[in-house]
Amino acid sequence: MDLALALVIVAVLLAATVLLGLVWRRGQGRARAVEAGEVVDPRVLESGPFGTTATLVQFSTEMCTRCPGVHRMLSAVADGRAGVHHIDVDLTHRPDLAKRFRVLQTPTTLLLDGSGLTVRRFGGPPTRADVEHELDRLTKENAHG
Amino acid sequence: MAEPARIDARGPRFAASLTAVLLLVATFLSLIGVSTWREASFGWFAYQPLSGETFAPGGWVLPQISPVARAADPGFLLVLVVALLFVWGVSSPRTAPWGVLYRRLVQPRLAPPTEFEDPRPPRFAQGVGLFVTAVGLLLHLAGVPWALPVAAAMAFVAAFLNAAFGLCLGCQLYLVLQRAGVVGRRGPASA
Repeated sequence: MDLALALVIVAVLLAATVLLGLVWRRGQGRARAVEAGEVVDPRVLESGPFGTTATLVQFSTEMCTRCPGVHRMLSAVADGRAGVHHIDVDLTHRPDLAKRFRVLQTPTTLLLDGSGLTVRRFGGPPTRADVEHELDRLTKENAHG
Repeated sequence: MAEPARIDARGPRFAASLTAVLLLVATFLSLIGVSTWREASFGWFAYQPLSGETFAPGGWVLPQISPVARAADPGFLLVLVVALLFVWGVSSPRTAPWGVLYRRLVQPRLAPPTEFEDPRPPRFAQGVGLFVTAVGLLLHLAGVPWALPVAAAMAFVAAFLNAAFGLCLGCQLYLVLQRAGVVGRRGPASA
């Protein structure tokens, strides 16, 4: 292969990788509304009781580099609000749970309302502002309902 | 296994940027190297840009030369160096060159780390990088054209995404494999 063509291929490879990274980052941590979400039973997750207002269920693995940071952030948010619990589920040894909740990447975070109903799903590390925003909305809905 | 000491999360990303640079150069070298040559441009020992590639191509050159000649390709040698660095990173992350360079020269000049992480995920990712580059090297030695640049490019994409975006393809892959039931380490949790 001649030099010019090889340079073009390398440049295209670099550009495509940057584009891929940008597209991936755009979709990261966005809150998605869950239509007809299921009611999660705390016993399935082998966790403690859920929060009375909301529960943040974080799915992690040992191999996940960004899970510890998300864990700290979600814990801090939950600690600062009454009735909000944070539960971190390690999927490393629980492929059955990964399958059940269709977790394809970690961290994935589910936001459950007071009854354990899944209302939002965050794929990838959410921002603190987004989590606070979703919790505010849930709290407001509770107050009105 | 005891919980290993947590490491500065910026270290593996620094290492990934250097690896990405090496892999991009390796991709380029293997593209212009013997891996993609056709018979029409035979004369592979002439180290100069080949211009006579526009006319009807013959067969691939790579299967027709000896394994020693295949291994003498600059692209092969550079991918081999990267693969050996991956071996080092998997077998002894504390002494791996990029990590040492980071701790000696870079870390003292930065603000104290705020993000710490488990050293096992970056080690797993090094293993994935080793697997991809090793497959490329072996296929190249076996005489498969294009195996080397394709493997180098795949490893580059993973290293670059880790360095520039903090996207850990290793973790994603692990979870997908686990879900498919290919890996699923049961038994006592080590976390």
